[in-house]
Amino acid sequence: MTAIKTQGLTKKYKDVVAVSDLSLEIDEGEIFALLGVNGAGKTTTIKMLSTLIPPSSGKAEIFGMDAVKDKDAIRPLMGVSPQETAVAPALTVKENLEFMAGVYGVNGKSATDELIERFGLSEVLGRKAKTLSGGWQRKLSLALALVNSPRLLFLDEPTLGLDVLARRQLWKEVESLKSKTTILLTTHYIEEAESLATKVAMLNKGKLAAAGTVDELKEKYGAASLEEAFVAAARGGDENANA
Amino acid sequence: MRTLNFAGRNIKELVRDPLSIIFSLALPLFLLFIFKQINIPSPSYALDNFTPGIIVFSFSFVSMFTAILIAKDRSTSFLTRLAVSPMKPHEYVSGYVLALLPPVCVQVVAVLALALILGLKPPWGVLLALPVALVISLPFIALGILFGSITNEKAASGVSSIVVQLVSFTSGMYFDRSLVGDGFAVVCEVLPFESALTLLKAALNLDLSVIEPRNIIVFCAYTVAFFVLSVVLFNKNMSKGK
Ligand SMILES: Nc1ncnc2c1ncn2[C@@H]1O[C@H](COP(=O)(O)OP(=O)(O)OP(=O)(O)O)[C@@H](O)[C@H]1O
Ligand SMILES: [Mg+2]
Repeated sequence: MTAIKTQGLTKKYKDVVAVSDLSLEIDEGEIFALLGVNGAGKTTTIKMLSTLIPPSSGKAEIFGMDAVKDKDAIRPLMGVSPQETAVAPALTVKENLEFMAGVYGVNGKSATDELIERFGLSEVLGRKAKTLSGGWQRKLSLALALVNSPRLLFLDEPTLGLDVLARRQLWKEVESLKSKTTILLTTHYIEEAESLATKVAMLNKGKLAAAGTVDELKEKYGAASLEEAFVAAARGGDENANA
Repeated sequence: MRTLNFAGRNIKELVRDPLSIIFSLALPLFLLFIFKQINIPSPSYALDNFTPGIIVFSFSFVSMFTAILIAKDRSTSFLTRLAVSPMKPHEYVSGYVLALLPPVCVQVVAVLALALILGLKPPWGVLLALPVALVISLPFIALGILFGSITNEKAASGVSSIVVQLVSFTSGMYFDRSLVGDGFAVVCEVLPFESALTLLKAALNLDLSVIEPRNIIVFCAYTVAFFVLSVVLFNKNMSKGK
């Protein structure tokens, strides 16, 4: 089944076109990585797909439902970990988890116990979120996105600020979700996309430069690595102009 | 259920950063005590007049710390997360209101208790004044949500200090408005603060004859308007705090 389908998805702010005419299809069970330099439109894309903001034009469908009209039906099925860590600062780790369980109306105890175990949160359980280090806050932010066992998960730069060990740990978590959850993630770490993603899309100035498996992208740009393909895609317009 | 869950979180957030609550509790108590000691020979400062005045005045600080709480929430991505959750627009505002009623209750009880100690008569009015005061606090909470939805954390206290000023000058708590001319009297009648104070005064003094129909109409109209605006503006701006 198709998890996400967009047609001509566009978001304009006053004088910027953040996302331009984006058409994508993401199948259920995929881990889909969205790559692009700063300002390429990754976060804006996630905001539209996760029903936070409406597109200026075009449309997005989530599990066949319209991201604007059917957002009430879509929201319980998805989880979002925003680019900035999103936790309640004065609540403890445990209270944060219980609060989100309450928001989704899921059984607090079983949902949170599993996440505490999985993310190794037990050692910081009683600490207020605002006193945690950046890495721990990010782990908590991620755990919060999973409270409702979402069918579709949006991760905006999930490993930003994590150390190498924590990052690998998180990759393992993401992979273990693969069977049950469709994941759309953005990242600036090419090797993260390479090792996790089943498909990769590259955005350049709001436009889709290329999409496919890692091998397809390497082939398309005649590149030896995904990083080279990424650089070629990001420079895309300018290089053609020079040639 | 979701409303209570959100209210619980808001109470924790308030209580764990208690400076503003303590301030808004201490200042009215201090004023009530001091003005009683000075013993100004004007009926405005008699306990039966000044006590409800102080309570309404203290609600303007409720507006202020409500605005700060909400502006602060909007400045983090926490509300962005909630904005894509199944929470409904009205649940946010009711969750904030429910969280603020306990501190308001403490505030009112403390002021009434001090007034009794200082010799408030008749004492039975406090039993009616407490529930009436909770109702009177509603537009102040809504105003706080409204200001918190349109300002950032720094501006929130500045903008809400307008409420403090308006209450001081237009509620009639410090001086009788008949002393300051007809034009100003109209302003007082059109704004909700004088009506709020009149209603509370009537309850505390068990004298409903001082209430004019316009007091009830003005108070209710503003309360409804503030709530509608706060729901609309909060939902429009909840994930646009930065
Ligand atoms: N609310 C907004 N108002 C105006 N312009 C915006 C707004 N949000 C995003 N933009 C602009 O849209 C473009 C895309 O931004 P976006 O945040 O989607 O990029 P990104 O790919 O996520 O970048 P980064 O890697 O830095 O997170 C940028 O030029 C940005 O300045
Ligand atoms: Mg981004």
